Amino acid sequence: MDASELEQYRAAIHGDREAFEMIIRTHSRALFAIAYGVLQNREEAEDVVQDSLVKAWKTRWRVRDAEKFLAWLATITRHRAHDIFRKRRAVSLSNETIEATESHPADTTAIDQQLHSALAALPEVHRTALILRYFEEMDYRTIENTLGLTNGALRGILGRALASMRKQLRPALASPD
Amino acid sequence: MATIHNEIENWLAADLHGELSESEQSALHAHLVDCAACRKTHHETKTMNKILEETLAHEKPDPAFERRMLAGFRNRIPERTGVSKVLANLMRLRATQITAVAAVLLGLVQIGRMLTGENAAPLPSRENYTSEGFVAQPPQAGATGADQSTSLAKSDELTRGRSQDLALNEPPPPAAPASRSELDKEAAARPMGLAAAKVAAATPQNLARAEQAEAKPGETPAPAQANRKLIRNATVQLEIVSFDDAVQKITALANEERGYVATTSSEKQANGKLRGTVVVKVLPENLDRFLQKVRGLGELKNQTLGTEDVTKAYLDTDARLKNAHVIEQRLVDMLKTKTGKVSDLLQVEKELGRVREDIEKMQGELKYWDSQVQFATVTVSLAEKEMEEPAAFLIKERSQLALYAPDVEKIYNDIKALASQKVQVTNAQLNRDYSGRVSATMSMLIAPEESDAVITRVKSLGRVENFQTQTERIAQGGSGMSENAKTKRDKVELNITISREEQEQAFQQTSLRIRTSSVDEKAKDLRAVAEKQGGRVRSSTFSRDPNGRELANVWLRVPMKNYQTLMQSLDSLGKVENVTVQRQDRTGTQIDEANAPADISIQVYSQGNIVSHESGLLATLRRTLAQSAGAIMWSLRMIGVAIAFLAPWVIAIVGVIWITQRVVRAKR
Repeated sequence: MDASELEQYRAAIHGDREAFEMIIRTHSRALFAIAYGVLQNREEAEDVVQDSLVKAWKTRWRVRDAEKFLAWLATITRHRAHDIFRKRRAVSLSNETIEATESHPADTTAIDQQLHSALAALPEVHRTALILRYFEEMDYRTIENTLGLTNGALRGILGRALASMRKQLRPALASPD
Repeated sequence: MATIHNEIENWLAADLHGELSESEQSALHAHLVDCAACRKTHHETKTMNKILEETLAHEKPDPAFERRMLAGFRNRIPERTGVSKVLANLMRLRATQITAVAAVLLGLVQIGRMLTGENAAPLPSRENYTSEGFVAQPPQAGATGADQSTSLAKSDELTRGRSQDLALNEPPPPAAPASRSELDKEAAARPMGLAAAKVAAATPQNLARAEQAEAKPGETPAPAQANRKLIRNATVQLEIVSFDDAVQKITALANEERGYVATTSSEKQANGKLRGTVVVKVLPENLDRFLQKVRGLGELKNQTLGTEDVTKAYLDTDARLKNAHVIEQRLVDMLKTKTGKVSDLLQVEKELGRVREDIEKMQGELKYWDSQVQFATVTVSLAEKEMEEPAAFLIKERSQLALYAPDVEKIYNDIKALASQKVQVTNAQLNRDYSGRVSATMSMLIAPEESDAVITRVKSLGRVENFQTQTERIAQGGSGMSENAKTKRDKVELNITISREEQEQAFQQTSLRIRTSSVDEKAKDLRAVAEKQGGRVRSSTFSRDPNGRELANVWLRVPMKNYQTLMQSLDSLGKVENVTVQRQDRTGTQIDEANAPADISIQVYSQGNIVSHESGLLATLRRTLAQSAGAIMWSLRMIGVAIAFLAPWVIAIVGVIWITQRVVRAKR
């Protein structure tokens, strides 16, 4: 994290709106990836990011350490996403049939479906790391920063995530090749 | 390489994501060449990666995502505009924050001052005040008093100017004295003139100092101006050993200082000491020296020195006198011409008489002043030492006693009968309270020579207790000691309280039990024994309970001298048990121990011989059960109370915790 970035976070914490908007520009995609990692639904993820940004702006004074600003933002997003996820589950218990038809649109291919279910089966951290990597092509350092991981842990996480995806999709992988 | 093989998934992923260093890459490729299994995995992973890249590319947010986010954010949090924005930006500056905090603190301090009523900024004004006080000069110096040195310089200038004025105002000596009074005046002024010349030679600074010193008595030099009419008076209070010696010495001193003793008065006190005043007239310029000398005569108690300036009144009277002289002359001239009617002449004559009377009055006044000015008056008050020594002593004796007797009224009348010319009964009171107890208080005044006989007579009437005598010596006409004062005995005051014997508190109280088989009989014996020893039975009871137990209580009172023999004779009646003896030593009172009453309370009892049905195994069991049931009921009740006490608290705490949890969950 370089000095100018840190200065930006500090300004945002102290209420500099421009700095905060700059942060929205540069980091909202990462937040989206986190929300998507939990929810696997674009519309919902977008709403979550939007809500989280508003909440972050309102409660920015809670952050004491500017270095942790990004991780804090990620935490807010993740919590918000979990809230939505819980609500959705409560709703889906009553409307199971509708949900089932809606979540599998007709145009999706078989491999897509399998991929999504494999993704859903992954632990959350793995899924989020994968999504950050494949949505944003982030380097490992940035992902680690965003997720608040320690140095070098990400390699193992991504390795295991890819491996378990591979194992689940092995039959499907074999067929197209 | 074992590590690469074991962690092949991590390595492959990192490789695909371009996160391997060059050396790591070559190591991985070397291993892939060697290991077939890992090669297969590598292949699969690559495919997986590709699928992921392709599939997730669809899910990626579109390019307008950030703009949407920004727009949504701005929509939901509208930007502040105008003043509030400027304010918000301002508050972000560190300097502004510090200023704001400082302002708030300052405001708090000011509020605190207002509340405590402390005056703000008192320092500068106080400085002004001190400089003013120090210089003690006209107001313009005080007004500019901020700079002390300048004001000091100013004051210096001022005093110099004043001294010059004084020198200018010094009038030439009176050229032609018109009357005798003028002559007198000059005579009085001569010594003052000398002093004035001395002062004129002095520097202005000295003069200023002398002016300041004028306020202090005793150090004053002669008045600075010759034409001033000053009356000086002094009073001195001295304590001396002998009045006559002191008067002689003062007369000698007055002669030395060219003065005289005007009046002497003295007064003899009751104790033979003298007190008086001496009025001395001395020349004013010798006054201070004279006072110094007088002070040496004895112990100085008080001294005052006063100066009265009568210049103005004197000059006024003088001018009026001159005027009157002129009128007189004119009237005399009118008489000399002898023209006009007789009635007019009579009128002139009458007027002349009035004017002459005025002249005489004024001349007298001037003369009086002259004499006052010419001589200073010193009033010396003298008092011999030990003025307060008493002239006589009076010995006052006061006695009191308490009498105990069987018949209060008889003794009361006996004492009343003692009254004679030398024995006065001043107070006699007989009280009978609601329970029929009689007591009396009496006071009498007895002539000193009769006192001993009367007191002995009173004492013989009953049992005396607490006889006290106080003797007081009262000094008359002064205080302290005196060797040759007379001593007189005053009447003796005697206070008597008479009470019945029964009311007297026993000197010693004894209680004991006697066990015997025949209670009634022994109680009768006991009474006989007590009567033999001069004791009296005060009360007795007898009781028998259904179990055959008999009990008799007897209260006796005997004189202390018979106590021992009585106690010994009790042993013959039965087994004496539980003897307790209590004695109240009354300090500070006299007690006739041999005749003091001793109380004995005796309980005579017999052991019963019927076994109670409330004993035995069954009764014990029943009692035990009843007690344990009672204990269980009691503890149950206690538990109930504890629950009733704790339950509301538990409910309240649980409720608060539940609500808090709900609120926290709702916030998420």
